[in-house]
Amino acid sequence: MGCSSSLPDRNTGRLGASLEDSASADSKNLRAKLVLLGDSGVGKSCIVLRFVRGQFDPTSKVTVGASFLSQTIALQDSTTVKFEIWDTAGQERYAALAPLYYRGAAVAVVVYDITVPESFNKAQYWVKELQKHGSPGIVMALVGNKADLHESRKVSVQDGVDYAEKNGMFFIETSAKTADNINQLFEEIAKRLPRTS
Amino acid sequence: MDSADDAGPNSVFPSSVQPDQQNPSVSERIDDRLKRVSLVDTDALPGDAPPPAPHAIDVDSHAGVNGVLDARSGSEGNDKREEDGGEAPGDVLLPQLVGAEHAFEVTRSSSDAGLRDNFEIEVEEPSSPSSSGYAGERGSSNATTSTGIEEVGEDEIVEADAADSSVWTPGKRHVDEDDGSISWRKRKKHFFVLSHSGKPIYSRYGDEHRLAGFSATLQAIISFVQNGGDRVNFVRAGNHQVVFLVKGPIYLVCISCTEEPYEALKGQLELLYGQMLLILTRSVNRCFERNPKFDMTPLLGGTDAVFSSLIHSFSWNPATFLHAYTCLPLAYPTRQAAGAILQDVADSGVLFAILMCRHKVISLVGAQKSSLHPDDMLLLANFVLSSESFRTSESFSPICLPRYNPMAFLYAYVHYLDVDTYLVLLTTSSDSFYHLKDCRIRIETVLLKSNVLSEVQKSVLDGGLHVDDLPVDSSTSGSLSPHLGQDRSIPGSPDRSLSGIGGPGGLWHFIYRSIYLDQYVSSDFSSPINSPKQQKRLYRAYQKLYASMHSRETGPYKTQFRRDENSVLLCWITQDFELYAAFDPLADKALAIKICNRVCQWVRDIENEIFLLGASPFSW
Repeated sequence: MGCSSSLPDRNTGRLGASLEDSASADSKNLRAKLVLLGDSGVGKSCIVLRFVRGQFDPTSKVTVGASFLSQTIALQDSTTVKFEIWDTAGQERYAALAPLYYRGAAVAVVVYDITVPESFNKAQYWVKELQKHGSPGIVMALVGNKADLHESRKVSVQDGVDYAEKNGMFFIETSAKTADNINQLFEEIAKRLPRTS
Repeated sequence: MDSADDAGPNSVFPSSVQPDQQNPSVSERIDDRLKRVSLVDTDALPGDAPPPAPHAIDVDSHAGVNGVLDARSGSEGNDKREEDGGEAPGDVLLPQLVGAEHAFEVTRSSSDAGLRDNFEIEVEEPSSPSSSGYAGERGSSNATTSTGIEEVGEDEIVEADAADSSVWTPGKRHVDEDDGSISWRKRKKHFFVLSHSGKPIYSRYGDEHRLAGFSATLQAIISFVQNGGDRVNFVRAGNHQVVFLVKGPIYLVCISCTEEPYEALKGQLELLYGQMLLILTRSVNRCFERNPKFDMTPLLGGTDAVFSSLIHSFSWNPATFLHAYTCLPLAYPTRQAAGAILQDVADSGVLFAILMCRHKVISLVGAQKSSLHPDDMLLLANFVLSSESFRTSESFSPICLPRYNPMAFLYAYVHYLDVDTYLVLLTTSSDSFYHLKDCRIRIETVLLKSNVLSEVQKSVLDGGLHVDDLPVDSSTSGSLSPHLGQDRSIPGSPDRSLSGIGGPGGLWHFIYRSIYLDQYVSSDFSSPINSPKQQKRLYRAYQKLYASMHSRETGPYKTQFRRDENSVLLCWITQDFELYAAFDPLADKALAIKICNRVCQWVRDIENEIFLLGASPFSW
């Protein structure tokens, strides 16, 4: 891809020492590095901004490199999970950079747009890439976004469910626009995080 | 008050300013020239200039290509002829340019037939000579309005927006157009990037993929000349100029009828290429080595706003042709406080720490022996400001500084501290995000504690230098010079009664560029340069002045005085600075010179506040 040769080497791409390994901290207060991957324009940033700030901005803002945000949620069993979220750019030129962001991640959220079949193919590419190079035991979620646009749906729910099942992923359809299933997505992820105790 | 005394050599070029102070006779000569020229002014009629040759191709070099006309036979030839004609042996300056520039501007309202071809600049009236595409234009002056379609202003929408809110929104427009659309062919300024195989990479207007045929044509022109062992620099067709820039496998082309000088347009193409390198590095060339038909457009996905914003800055940001940066005016201790904390983080492994407010620098620091080129700063600021996503949260992104190292990526941590103020920390290491984040937290804490951020906001509200604030009594300068944002309410002093609208002596606007600091300061626009259109015209006039002052063929010059219907322009270049000033068209020359000296004195008096001093030395 493009100019991958000048991008960081896969083996050196590691973001910071402070996130030693995936989920950490004590058993009551978890911390998890989460990375969002997917084609450009599927709504990764919108999902994150809906989750972190409760906002939705319909004007599209192309992410550059990757944005970093964090959000803490409390679960019913009185544990808290602090998500440190890497919202990566979907543009092709940043693809070679992805290892920099997903390396050491405890969670990967792979997003596609239910109205764009190509984005579903791209999602499968990312799943394969994560299976090869992601952290062992990484929690993976497959997310079909823009569920509010059901009248222009091109990727069936069943296709999503089947692919997720085959690859041991958790599947959900969301709408960052209507906020549908956004919190459920992150709560479900939090429940699936390995507890160290 | 204007008199021969005021214009005497000593007061015009005080020895403290004069780089040739060892040689006072030069200043006398300069003054002499200026005086002599004033007599010539009124005779320099626009009609003197012959109509330009309709077509001229300039081919760079020795290997003369048959059938190629001289580079300068277009309207630029007028300038040259004027300059050559009036040159006295041994003289350093050429104020006789007065007449030549006059020719361009005056045609706006005069109906001098011989010059109609040159005429356009900002005008969107049906009097433009021809209406078809480039090929059809033969520069015939009676072809006016044959189709009844007017030239479409290059920034038409921008100006409409600007009238409302003076906010310009970046992003590509008119994507539905292609080279078959009349509206597309009417646009005043096109930029194209294509690959050496003729594949479109970027177009300012229209969809790249629909312009494949047009790109192939451009590629054919370039490679035809290349096959002859030569290089095409520009083609002139009617009032259109086609400027080419070849950068390895990437070709850049500008097609313009804005009458900007070739040097200016070429500089703009260089910046466009630099912006592309900032996003991809020069290693993108390898993709073309592997596959000559490589399609580069996907690699630039989502960057339209970056390029359109850069192209927009070609018509308002002096940094694009001055190759210098400008600072936000701040009290000296405030800037020092910002610099100190930036220096602190630079010592901890950050390559460059840059604190900016919109396009202006608050402070910047580089690690030892690292220096930042003003062009890189321009491209970096444009990239950050035009990428909306940086405003939402902190980001970490690979970025290449083409003047620093065009082959490698640096990693940029970008964070907005408030709506206008942002911090960019650059590093060579891809895994230092958390370190940079910690640095940012430290910097932000210090800036808040020392009130730097509130001072920055205050400065933004106060604005920059105002020509009205120019101290009028030179004897008090240094002790009583007004500080920024103060003394505005002091009523006009005696001198002001001499002036029309604007500052003393009819001064409208100025740009002062410090050569050794690589910084410039530009006064705020004020009455009568109010509308975006007037501002753009003045900007273009400065740009032209800059090109003629620095021209390799005819320059470099030390001073230039031009009078036309719109304004008087005065440029003065010494070893230390360059001053560009615009006056009322009726301004008195001797007084204008005197005012320029005051501007220089004023700038020196407040240099602590308007420039970043003591920054790490720039070396390249």
